[in-house]
Amino acid sequence: MPRTADAVVVGGGIVGTAIARQLARDGVDAVLVERKAFGGAVSGASLACLGTHMHSLDELEVLVESCALWRSISDELGDPFEYNRCGQLRFILREEDLPVAQRWIDGERAFGLDPELLSPEAVRDKEPLLTGPIVAASHSPGDATVNPFLAVRALLRDGGNAGLKAFANTAVTGLQMDGDRVAGVQTERGSIATGNVILAAGPWSGQLARHADLDLPLVPRQAQCVASVRQPPSIRTVVGACESAGGVESGYTQIQQAASGQILFNTVTAPAATRPGAEDRINEAPIGFVRDSIRTLTMLFPSLSEILMLRSWVRFEAVTPDDRFLAGRLPRRGLIAAAGDNGTGFCRAPVLGRLISRIVRGEAAMPADTLYAPSRFAELRA
Amino acid sequence: MTGSSQKCEVLVIGAGPAGLAAAAAAREAGADVICLDLFARPGGQYGMQPASPASRFEAVSQVAEGRAAAARCLELGVKLLTETEVFWAEPGFRVFARQGQEALVIEANQMIVASGAMERPIPFDGWTLPGVMTAGAAQRLIKANGTLPGNSTVLAGSGPFLFAVADTFAKAGLRLRAYVELQGLGSRLLPLFVRHPSRLKEAAGLLRGLRATGASLHRRHVVVEALGGQRLEAVRLAPIGGDGKPQRSRSFTIDGVDSLCIGYGFQPVIDVTSALGAEHRHDTLLGGWRCVADPLTGATSVAGLYAAGETTGIGGAGPARLSGRIAGLGAAAGAGKTARADEIARLARQLADARDFAQGLARLFPFPGHLVDELSPSGTLCRCEDVSRADVEAAIDDGAGDALAVKMWTRAGMGPCQGRICGSSLAELVARRIGVSVAEAGCNRPHMPLRPVPLSIAGAALAQADGGCIR
Repeated sequence: MPRTADAVVVGGGIVGTAIARQLARDGVDAVLVERKAFGGAVSGASLACLGTHMHSLDELEVLVESCALWRSISDELGDPFEYNRCGQLRFILREEDLPVAQRWIDGERAFGLDPELLSPEAVRDKEPLLTGPIVAASHSPGDATVNPFLAVRALLRDGGNAGLKAFANTAVTGLQMDGDRVAGVQTERGSIATGNVILAAGPWSGQLARHADLDLPLVPRQAQCVASVRQPPSIRTVVGACESAGGVESGYTQIQQAASGQILFNTVTAPAATRPGAEDRINEAPIGFVRDSIRTLTMLFPSLSEILMLRSWVRFEAVTPDDRFLAGRLPRRGLIAAAGDNGTGFCRAPVLGRLISRIVRGEAAMPADTLYAPSRFAELRA
Repeated sequence: MTGSSQKCEVLVIGAGPAGLAAAAAAREAGADVICLDLFARPGGQYGMQPASPASRFEAVSQVAEGRAAAARCLELGVKLLTETEVFWAEPGFRVFARQGQEALVIEANQMIVASGAMERPIPFDGWTLPGVMTAGAAQRLIKANGTLPGNSTVLAGSGPFLFAVADTFAKAGLRLRAYVELQGLGSRLLPLFVRHPSRLKEAAGLLRGLRATGASLHRRHVVVEALGGQRLEAVRLAPIGGDGKPQRSRSFTIDGVDSLCIGYGFQPVIDVTSALGAEHRHDTLLGGWRCVADPLTGATSVAGLYAAGETTGIGGAGPARLSGRIAGLGAAAGAGKTARADEIARLARQLADARDFAQGLARLFPFPGHLVDELSPSGTLCRCEDVSRADVEAAIDDGAGDALAVKMWTRAGMGPCQGRICGSSLAELVARRIGVSVAEAGCNRPHMPLRPVPLSIAGAALAQADGGCIR
C-alpha cells in the first residue's frame, strides 16, 4: 500500500475503475481502493446497457462520445468483455404512450441518431419471441451491452498495465483534512496522502463526503434483477419499457439475454423512498417485484413462461435530484465527486474517466464538465 | 396457474431422520404439524424407501427405521408432503414451494429446518467424465433401483460413509473392484470404540459388508485421475506420502473400470436457514458452514426458527434423530405447547454422546480439502459453467480477493447448481492461493429462488403473497 499518490480513487465499480484507468493512462500516479470486490456492489448487479436511446436529450453529445469510447476500448483490448451492439427496443403497451416515444425519437433524430418507431410485426422481425400485446416499440440500433464483471476486470487490468495500483477489500475509514483541504484518505490498511481524492463510491459517496463535512444531494434507490437458468438464444436485443405512467413499466424495465445464455430482467421501481442505510444491508428482492417481473416477462414473451428462474438480487443506485451525475470539484480543495449514476453508470463511465482525468491534470473543460458540475447545486458552490 | 396454501403451527422442512423425529415430537406435544420433503418418499438419504416393495432393501434396518418413523408421523396426524421443494422462505413464516407441478404457500408459526446434507465433492482430473459419480448418488441409485449402471466399480474417497456405501453394494449383491480410502485406519479407530463400545456392532457389520463386495483394499491412497475418452475407462491411484500429499511418481492405473463412486463426506444444507438470516459458523469437523442451534431447544438465532440434524453440523443419523426430537419439542414449546423437561435433559445427554462419537470419527477422517491442489490447471472446477482451475487462478492474479470476486470474473458458481457442487472447493482454492482461511474466503449466499423453479410456478406461488404491488 503506497503512502502517497497523485490521486486516490475511492470505489472500484465501473465508474471508479474507468477513472482510475484513465488517470494511469494519462500518466497520473493513481491508486484505486475498493471496500470489497471490484465491481462487486452496484456494477456487478447491473445489466450494463450502453446507449443513447431515451436517456437524456441534454446529454446526447456525451452519450454518443461514451458509446464510441466503449467500442474503441473493446477493440483496443481485444473484446474482453462481451461487447454486443445488439440494439435496444422500448415496448409500448398503450396507444396514449405513443407520443412520448415519438418525442424521444424526434429529439434523437434531430441530433443525427437513427431510432425509429416499429409496428408489432416489425418488432417481431427484430425480436421473434416478443409476441405479447404491445402496440409498438421504438428501436435504437446502435445501443449495446457489455458483461459488467468482465468490463470492470478488463479496465482494471488495462489500468494496471499503465501503472495503476488497485486494492480490493480496503475500506476507506476517513478523509485526512488539512483545514478546509482534503489531504489524503485513511483506509483499513493505512493512510495515503494525496492532493486529489475522487469519490466514486456510488450510493456510499455521501457517507464519505461527510468526513469532509459535506452533504451530497445523493440518495440510494433500490433496483432489482431476476435471472433465469441458461437458455438457447431467445432474446436478441435489450428490451426496455418506454416511459409511461403506472405499473412495472413506469419504472425502468430492462430484459436481455446475457452471453452466458441467462435471461435477465431488471427493474428500477417507480419513484419510492428507499430507507436510509438500506444500501449497507444485504437485501433480498421484494416478493412483489419478482412476481410482477415474472408477469411482465411472460406477458411480453409468452413462450418463456416455463423457463427456470435461477436467482434474484438487489442493488442500490445513487440518485441525484436532476438525474445527472455529480462529477467535478467539490467545495473542499482536493475533493472530487464522480457519483450519482442514476442507474446509468456503465453508459457514462468512459467519459467520466476523461473528465476527471482532465480535472486532476488541470486541463481545459469538456462539455460534460458543465453538465455534471456539482456546483449546479447551490449547496455545492464554493 | 393458480396455487394452493396451507397453514400449520409447526412446519418441518425435510423428512429424513431429523425431520421425521422433529415432526413426531412436535405433534406428540400437541402442535399441528406439516412435514415436507423434496423426494417422492420420506426417509431421507439414510432411511430412503425403495421404489418397489419387492426390493431387497425392504428388510434393511435403515429402511425399516425410515418406514417406521414415517408411519409414526402419519399415525400421529402429521401432514406429510412429498416432492415438495422450497424455493423461498420469509420470516414469520411463509414458505413458497413447488409441489410437483403446482405452486404451494405454507404459513407457519414455528419452523424447523432439517434439510440434511449434501456431498462435498473435491474436483480432480476427469471428474466430469460419464461414469464418475458421487458415493451418495451411487448409494441412492442402488437403494432406489437395486442396481448401479456398470460392472466394474471403484469406490473411493474418505470417511465412514464409504463403509456404508460398500455395505449397500453388499446388500444389493453387487461386487466392488476396489475400495480406496485416504486414511490408514487400523489402530487409530480403537480408542474411539473403547469410548463408544455400543457402536462396535454396527462398525463390524459394515466391515463385513465391505469384505462381501470382494473389493481390493487400497488404504492411504487417493484417486488422482479418472481416465477415458467418451466415458470412464480407468482410474489412476496414488499413495499418500509422509507429507499427506499424493505421490504422483508412484501412481498406478486400474484399467477396465466403468464406474467410479467417490465421496469425501458431506456439508450441511443451509440454504433455508441462511435465507432466513440465522447465525452460521464455519466448523471443519462439522462439514464447513453450519447453522448454529441451541442444544436444549434447537432454536436458531431467529425467533421461531429451529434447526436439526445435518443442517446443524454433520454427524449422521444418530445425532440427527436426537436433535430432531429436541427441535420438535422446542418448536412445540414455541407454539405454546408444554414439553417434558426430563425428556429434554435426557435427549440432550444422548445427543452430546452421539455428537462425541461423530466428532471422533470426523477427527479420524478430516476433510482433505488440500486435494484440490491436485487438480491440473486445465481441470474443471465449476462444471455448470465450465470454469477451470487456471481460470480461477487468473482471476486471483487479476486482483480478485475473495470467492465472490472470483465468481464474478469466472462465473464459477453462477450456473444451475449455484455453487452447491463447487463452492466448497472454490473457497478452498481461493483460500490457499490468497493465504486466508476457508471461512474468510467467503461463502455463496443464497437468494430467491433457493432452487431453480419454473417462472409459472414461482409466479403463482408469489401471487398468493399479500405483498401488494412492488415497493
